[in-house]
Order: sequence, then structure tokens, then C-alpha cells
Amino acid sequence: MSALGYFLERADIMTTGISLVRENAASLQPPRSLWVSFPLGRPLGVPNDPAFQHRVIESALDLLNRTDGPVLADYPEDAPGVPLDNSPACPVSFRTDHTTWQGRLNAELASLEPWYQIGRQRRDGRTLVGVSTSSIRDIISGLAADLDAARLPADLPAFKAAIEDAKAFYVEALTAQPGEYDHRQTYLTLWYTTELGAALRVFYEQFEADPKLSAFAQIVLPRDALDDKQTTETPP
Amino acid sequence: MVRLSDLPEHERAHLLSKELPPLGPPAWTPQAKPLAEMRIALITTAGLHVRDDTGFGFTDSSFRPIPNEANADGLITSHSSANFDRSGLAEDVNLVFPIDRFRELESAGSIGSLASIHYSFMGAGLLPQAYEASAGQVAGLLKKDRVDAVFLTPV
Repeated sequence: MSALGYFLERADIMTTGISLVRENAASLQPPRSLWVSFPLGRPLGVPNDPAFQHRVIESALDLLNRTDGPVLADYPEDAPGVPLDNSPACPVSFRTDHTTWQGRLNAELASLEPWYQIGRQRRDGRTLVGVSTSSIRDIISGLAADLDAARLPADLPAFKAAIEDAKAFYVEALTAQPGEYDHRQTYLTLWYTTELGAALRVFYEQFEADPKLSAFAQIVLPRDALDDKQTTETPP
Repeated sequence: MVRLSDLPEHERAHLLSKELPPLGPPAWTPQAKPLAEMRIALITTAGLHVRDDTGFGFTDSSFRPIPNEANADGLITSHSSANFDRSGLAEDVNLVFPIDRFRELESAGSIGSLASIHYSFMGAGLLPQAYEASAGQVAGLLKKDRVDAVFLTPV
């Protein structure tokens, strides 16, 4: 983000924007940048809160009035947290007795499908699922087939799209009920409770063990989900 | 996560490992008109694109156009990183691409107008210099669209 600001400004186009990692903006020195203390993935702070988002935007646009730079300003407001007691409960019980990945992942998918549909309805049809050309059932079945055969996916671009859709499907199902969610709790549920989280951990280990594919492993599992056991540290 | 200092050590170390020197001599374009007369474009590095567009690759410095009239709810992301929260984006695309907020600013007369095309990159896995060529392309497109200023959002 900082680099784009620099290159555009060098081409005589004014820029202003948001930085989520203050240290990076301080070192790269984009022309105008507003550092916010929000989690990665939430540069405007709070979803579905136009007033909060407008306050952030206004602060960043104000930087266009500065007469010299580079300027790195700190936004003073933190995003409000969601008390766990007020967050809707996880709608599904995970883990089954199936002995194969095909059995476990498909059983899990079947339990999540109604919640995904409820979530999509609540969001007026909006969904992030759709990067892959395959259906979610084919995606899950394909991942399971590779795991049961203990083989790496043959088509890495298709695998990348498949796991992006799978993660989006799970997040949307886990947050289907109305209410405000603590995103950290959703993260912990996905990566430490679901069979999909366990499956992606296996893929990660397989990619990581192959010197030619170890870089690809980084997109499979979050950095702080590398520990085998659930952490109470703050995830992204 | 509130401050970088609050992050787990390995996450903090990773983000700080991106600490790089300035890209070159300071670049600064002075303001030529008030905000209320400016034409603004949005650029996100969240890997967003319209549903039918080709997704971003594993590492990818290319960009995708997002028409100003595009339905914000129809945008999806193919960002490679597994390290950012997607639950907020699933709820509200404005969290990373505040197009509805800027339409409201345009309607209120707080900005002059919105660009006809906005742009999306995927900020992951590459050094900043990798984006120089594609950023130059976008700069040319923005000038043809008479854009005065760009509002940048990371993910």
C-alpha cells in the first residue's frame, strides 16, 4: 500500500491512505498515511458502521490539506471490541467418528451448509465464495481425496482458489446468526476446532516439507496457527 | 490486535521484517484544488475483484479494474494471505473498499466526483519495487480519467 502511494505520487497524483502497520509506513514513507490501530483485514475499523468509517475516511482525507510531507498521522480511536458473552454461539458441533478425510470433511460440510445459506440470506445474498469455478461440495471432496491419498494437489492455482472459497464458506457459516462477532473467536474456531482447519494444517506440513513448495505453504495456514495447540494470544 | 507490540512475537517479527528503506527521494504532489472539487479514485490492496474477473495468483503484482458503478456486494477477494481477518469483509466490503462511503461523500458535495474506474491490487509476497510497473500503468489510466487524488486502503 505504501509503495503504491509513493509510485502514484511520483507520477503527480496525490495520494492519501490508511496504514495498519505503523512501523512499515514509517520506514517506507508514503506521502500521506493515517495509521489506525485496527486488526489486519479491517482498515476502516468496523463493518456496517458508516459513521465510524466516515470518521476514519475524514481523517485520512484531511491529510490532503497538508502542505509538506511525508506525513504519518495516528488515528486516535480504537475499534470497539465485542464482548464474548454477547457474541452468538457457534452453531455447529464439530468432529465426527468418520475414519477418512472424505467422511469427516463431508459430514462437517453438511452440518455447515444450512448455516451458510442462513448467513447468505442475512447478508442479502452477499458472499465471498466464488473464486473457484468448482462448487463447495466438489472443493471439499477434492481436498479430502488428496488427503486420503496422502498426495499434494496437482493443480496449485486451483487449490489456492479452492481453499479461499472453503475458508470464506466456513467464516460465513460460522457467522450466520445475527449479532456482532468477535473475529478472534471465529478465527480460533476455524483453525483449531474444524476438520477444515485440521486438513489445511496437513496440507501446510506437506508443502512445507517440499523445498520447491515451501513458499506456497505460507498461504495455506496463518502464521500464528502454526502451533499445534490453541493459543490464547491475540490472533490477527 | 490493537498495537503491533500486542501481537505474538512471530507475527510481530514477520511484519517488522518488511521494514524497508524509503523507495527513493520523497515524492510529493501539492494540492491544486479544494477537496470539494477533487475527483477521487479508490485503490485497495485487498485482492478484490468483480466476481467474473480472473483471480489473483500466488504472488501477483497485476491489478484489477473495479467500475465505479459496480455493485459493492458483488466483489470478492482472491488475496493469497491467510493472515488477515475475513469475517469483517464478509459482512461489509466497505471495510476494505469504502465505495459506499465515498458515494455518500460525493452526494454530500464533500468531494468533487468519483473516478469512473477504481483499482485493486493484491499486496502480498512481493517486495514494494515489484509494483512499480503496474502502478505506473494505473497512474496513466487515472490521469486519463482526470483523477486528482487516490484513497488507498490496505488489508
